[in-house]
Amino acid sequence: MDTFLQLLLSGLALGAIYALIALGFVVIYRASQVFNFAHGEFLAVGALATVTFTEIGLPWGLAVLASMVSTGFLAAVVERVALRPLVGRPIFVTIMVTIFVGMVLRILLVMLWGTDPRGMPTPWDPMSGFDVGGAKVWTNSVAALATATLCLGLFFVLIRKTRLGVAMRATASDQETSLALGIPVGRVFAMTWFIAGMFAALGGVFLGMFPRSVDVELGYVALRAFPAVIVGGLESPVGATVAGFGLGVLEVLAQAYLNPELGQFGQNFHEVFPYVIMIVVLIVRPYGLFGAKTVRRV
Amino acid sequence: MPTRPLVTDYASDLALFPDRWHRVGWVVFLLIVLTVPFVASSYWLAISNDTLLTIVGAIGMMVLTGFTGQISLGHAAFIALGAYTAGILGGAHMPFWVAIPAAGTVAALFGLAIGPFALRLEGLYLAIVTLGLLYLVAHLLLSFPDLTGGAVGLEVPVYYTFAGQGDLSITLRPPLEFFGLSLGYDQQLYFLFLAVALLTAWWSKNIQRSNTGRAMMAVRDHDMAAAVLGVDPAKTKIIAFGISAFIAGICGALFGFQTQYLSVETTANLQLSVIFIAMIVLGGLGTTFGAIAGAIVFRLLEPLAHAVGPSIPLVSTLPQADQATLLFALTVIGMLLVEPFGVLGIWLRIKRYFALWPFRY
Repeated sequence: MDTFLQLLLSGLALGAIYALIALGFVVIYRASQVFNFAHGEFLAVGALATVTFTEIGLPWGLAVLASMVSTGFLAAVVERVALRPLVGRPIFVTIMVTIFVGMVLRILLVMLWGTDPRGMPTPWDPMSGFDVGGAKVWTNSVAALATATLCLGLFFVLIRKTRLGVAMRATASDQETSLALGIPVGRVFAMTWFIAGMFAALGGVFLGMFPRSVDVELGYVALRAFPAVIVGGLESPVGATVAGFGLGVLEVLAQAYLNPELGQFGQNFHEVFPYVIMIVVLIVRPYGLFGAKTVRRV
Repeated sequence: MPTRPLVTDYASDLALFPDRWHRVGWVVFLLIVLTVPFVASSYWLAISNDTLLTIVGAIGMMVLTGFTGQISLGHAAFIALGAYTAGILGGAHMPFWVAIPAAGTVAALFGLAIGPFALRLEGLYLAIVTLGLLYLVAHLLLSFPDLTGGAVGLEVPVYYTFAGQGDLSITLRPPLEFFGLSLGYDQQLYFLFLAVALLTAWWSKNIQRSNTGRAMMAVRDHDMAAAVLGVDPAKTKIIAFGISAFIAGICGALFGFQTQYLSVETTANLQLSVIFIAMIVLGGLGTTFGAIAGAIVFRLLEPLAHAVGPSIPLVSTLPQADQATLLFALTVIGMLLVEPFGVLGIWLRIKRYFALWPFRY
C-alpha cells in the first residue's frame, strides 16, 4: 500500500507538469486554432533561461519570473513573425510552420547554451522531503503540484472573470465576428501566446527539477504531453488538466506494475503507454473526453 | 513559348506527354539522368542516390497527404518497417528483387491496419495519432533485439541483397560489366534506384489520372460532399494509406541499401516524417511533380549548407547536420509564408510570364 501511495504521489507530481504543458497547448489552440509543436522548445528556453538568470545572481523567484516573461515575449514574437501571416490558411500549414520554428529554436538554443546539461537550481534542498502516511514526498513534487494548481486556478479566473479572458473566448469562437465587434484580435493572439509561453517556462522549470538537469533535449518531453492534450480534448482547459493528472498517474503506475508483466516488450513501455491510452480514447471519442464535437455540413 | 495544344477530348486531357515540348523535355531529362552516374564524383553520386530514394518516399507521402489530404506524422514508421524488412531479408541472403517488394508489402499491411483510424479522425487528431503509432513502432523495433538488433542497430548486408552472390565484402566484388561499361557499386545502386523512382512516379501519375485518384482528391477537398456523390471515403482513405505505406516501405528498403546500417533513431523518428511532409509542401501539394521537385530541392540544400555554412559566423560553430537543418527549416518557413504552392507555384508563374511575354497581363 505504501508503494502504491508513493507511486500515486509521484504520478500526481508528473501529472501536474503534464497539465501545465498541456494547458499551454490548449490556450494557444483555443484562441488561434494552432497546435504549437514548438512548445517543447519554449519549455527548454524557460528552463535554460532560469538557470542563466540565477547564475548572474538573481534570487530564484525573480529568476523564474524573468524567465517566464522572456519566454512569453519569445512566444509572442514567434506568433507575430511566423504565424500571424498564416491566419486563415489550412491547419496543415500551421502544423508545419510550428514544427520548423521548433527546429530553428532548438538549433538557436544549441548555439546559445551548448549541449551540456546544467543543474536546475532550487531554493530548497532538492533532496528534502517529508513523510505522508509512510510514503516519502519530495519538496520538488509538492512545489510542482502547488504551482500547477495555482496557475490553473489563476488561468480559470482569467478566462472567466477578466476583460481579456472574455476577448480570448470570443476570438476562440469566431475570429471574424470578434474583429467586427471591435476586439483587437491581433493583440489577443499576442497575449495568448505570451501567457502560453509563461506556462511553458514554468513547466520547464519544474520539469528540470526531476532529473535535476536541464539541457536542450528537455523539449522532447513536450512530445510526451501530447496525449494529455488530445485525450482531454483540444479546446478544453479542464480536459487538459484532468487528462494531464490522469496520464501522469497512469504512466507512473504502468512503469511499476505493467512493465514487468510484459517481459521484453515491457522495457520502457511506460513511455509509450500514454499514447496507447490516447489511441484507445480517440477510437471511442474522436474529439477527446471534453472536446467539442464539430458539426459539419456539405 | 509554345503552349499546350487545345484539349479537345478526354484522352488528350489525360495524356502523359501532351505535346512535342513535353517529349523533348523527357528526352533531355533521360539523357541527364543516364549520364549522371558516369560523370559525378562519388560525393555527388551518393547525393544522387539519396535524392532518388527521397523522391520515392516523397511520392508515397504525396499520395496520402497531397492527393487524399490525410495528415500523417507516421510516414517514418512505414519507412522504418520497410528498411528493417529489407535488412532482415538481406541477412537471410535474399536478393534485392525479393527484399524490395517484401519491404513494401510489410509496410502496406501496417498501413492498411492503421488506415481505419483515419475514418473517424481528421486533421490534427489524425496527425497526433499517427505520431503515437510512430512511437509504438519505434518501441516495437527496440523491444525485439533478436530480430532487429534493438538499440545496437541492424546491418543491411547489401552484398547478399543486391548482387545475389555470396561475396564477403563489397570491395571484393568486381564491378558489373554491362555493354562494355563497368559499373561500380554506387552506380549499380543508382540504376536500381532510378528504375524504382521512375516506376513509382509513373504509378503515382496513373493513380492521379484514374478513378481511385479522383476519388482521393474528392475526399481531400470535401469528404462529406464526396460521400454524397457516391465516393466511399472509408475505402478511399484505407487505399491511400495502403499505397502510401507500400511506397514508403520501398523507400525504406532503398534507404537500407544506401546506408547499409539501420538504427531506430535514424529511421523511426519524427523528424524524418516531418521532413517528408515539408518536402511535398516545398514542392507543391497535390502533384507528382511537386513531390519530385521537393525531394530534389531538399537534397540540394545539404551540399549548399556545406558550402555556405562555414562562412557565416555563429552558424559555422554548429555541427554540419544542424547547419543543413537550419537552412532547410528557414527555407520551409519562408516558403510557407510567401509562396504557398511551393516550387510548383514558382514554376507556374515563370511559365505564365514567358507564355504571355512581352505582355505582362
